[in-house]
Amino acid sequence: MFRKVLIANRGEIALRINRACHELGVATVAIFSDPDRQSLHVRHADEAFCVGPGPVVRSYLNIPNIISAALISGCDAIHPGYGFLAENARFAEIAADHGLTFIGPTPAVINAMGDKATAKRLMQEAGVPTTPGSGIVANVEEARAVCEQIGYPVLLKATAGGGGKGMRAVTKLDELPTAFATAQAEAEASFKDGRMYVEKLIVNPRHIEVQVLADEHGDVVHLGERDCSVQKPSHQKLIEEAPAPVLDVAIRDRLHEIATTATRAVGYTNAGTLEFLVHGDDVYFMEMNTRIQVEHPVSELIYGVDLVKEQIRIAAGEHLGFSQEDLNAHGHAIEVRVNAEDPDNNFAPAAGTLTTVVFPGGPGIRVDTHVYGGAMVPPFYDSMLAKIIAVGRTRESAILRMERALGETRIEGVKTTVDFCRELLGDPEFRAGGVGVGWLPAFLERRTAAV
Amino acid sequence: MTEDVIAMRARALAGALTEAGFARLRVRDGDTEIELRRAPSAVGGAGMPAPLAPAAEPAAPPAERRADLIASDVVGVVRHVRPPIAEGQELDTDRELASVETLGIRNPVRSRGGGRVVAVFVTEGQPVEYGQPLFAIER
Repeated sequence: MFRKVLIANRGEIALRINRACHELGVATVAIFSDPDRQSLHVRHADEAFCVGPGPVVRSYLNIPNIISAALISGCDAIHPGYGFLAENARFAEIAADHGLTFIGPTPAVINAMGDKATAKRLMQEAGVPTTPGSGIVANVEEARAVCEQIGYPVLLKATAGGGGKGMRAVTKLDELPTAFATAQAEAEASFKDGRMYVEKLIVNPRHIEVQVLADEHGDVVHLGERDCSVQKPSHQKLIEEAPAPVLDVAIRDRLHEIATTATRAVGYTNAGTLEFLVHGDDVYFMEMNTRIQVEHPVSELIYGVDLVKEQIRIAAGEHLGFSQEDLNAHGHAIEVRVNAEDPDNNFAPAAGTLTTVVFPGGPGIRVDTHVYGGAMVPPFYDSMLAKIIAVGRTRESAILRMERALGETRIEGVKTTVDFCRELLGDPEFRAGGVGVGWLPAFLERRTAAV
Repeated sequence: MTEDVIAMRARALAGALTEAGFARLRVRDGDTEIELRRAPSAVGGAGMPAPLAPAAEPAAPPAERRADLIASDVVGVVRHVRPPIAEGQELDTDRELASVETLGIRNPVRSRGGGRVVAVFVTEGQPVEYGQPLFAIER
């Protein structure tokens, strides 16, 4: 096991990793930017280094300063969390060059899965179903030829993309030139990589993903699926749950089977997530995320497995120590993301000081957060303030618990998604279960029209 | 930087500087410059922060001494120049005071002009973080 781990992140995930390390008896080193000096992740860690000013490129993405902090504090591993450098193969390589274990898969696998076109090709070779589409299209003319072949509607996607950036839906030819230009510009700006590809747009599919764990000795297990279909128009997830409600058992088994087969085929190690689109009886591989995900707690709560601890144990070369037969899901878990953003104004992010912060508690409630009363929300980072997770014996009991928990939550000083998510939970369609990714955008349109 | 951040930085730096007994302190850090002024009643005190209530007898008017704080731009290990810069040393002009070594690369720390070195905050081989005060130079 490692002696000391540097946590190359901020916010709730930095605290989450810190907790896992401390439970394993591993010392921790936090990094922080100037505006995060008073942040809880800094206080929880055994040591902490300021690595730069507010803007992420100079602090949380500052590879030399982060590696230097790990070396001078005597760390032997780095946990990247999610976002920032989590899927940066170069960072993983540089860490290895300096004798630091990167807690995640190998740089080669990160690279292969990070490039969506390569990932799709590898998955096809492993027999995984993928959406009809193209390889890299050099320009709008090439994109047009592909669109005519597969038929509209299509999805333009940046091969380096993520979080909905560099992605545009195109329903007819007229829209193609503008959509291609804007998506490519967005990809250039966000990822410094404007390479695009085209995919058949599956209308209103469900977004269902499978959690896998793979050790360095060839053992692979899955921890079931999560349904993340409740997404904002920007494709960012807002509510996630496990297991996926009203899903045919044959489809569920098929997803699990595909996920473990694909994980083995690409030589994956550590924790990972395979995202699928599910439409009727059809399932299509979308992408593989080579990191811990924001919504990992819903799987943890129904399987009783600490995924972050497993990540650290796997990176330290340990055996999984359990097989698929040892893993049994119990009950239903649901997660709500509490973001500092205004649901009445296109989820515009808000910054400021939190004057009141009261989180819920009681049976079946878990809160992963880094904020407290008086804490400042800097303008530089992700707007997520907390994740509230409820677990119950059934989906209905988990939802009732979540409604009760959101009612207890008081956050003042910035606008948040708390009341809005409570409204979503009360919607009959959501309550019935199995909504598609088009559900929330449609809900928003109905809501705006009603005002 | 936001005002909150500047205030936070200023508070942290003020602690490191009270001992020098300056009336004014200018901190340059990358693209930001912060000027700290001590309350007149506190100047000449025993290195304590400014009291809330004014002193019964006003202290002698403070000397308008100004100092620049030189902070580290990187995370690394301090390597002093040979011979090392000493407190009280006069600098005629801009010169290298030390370097901060990051992943084998030496990042020079310069005085940004002449002046008198009034504080050396770091020792040879000391690990430093971004923004950590290294030297104070009276202009």
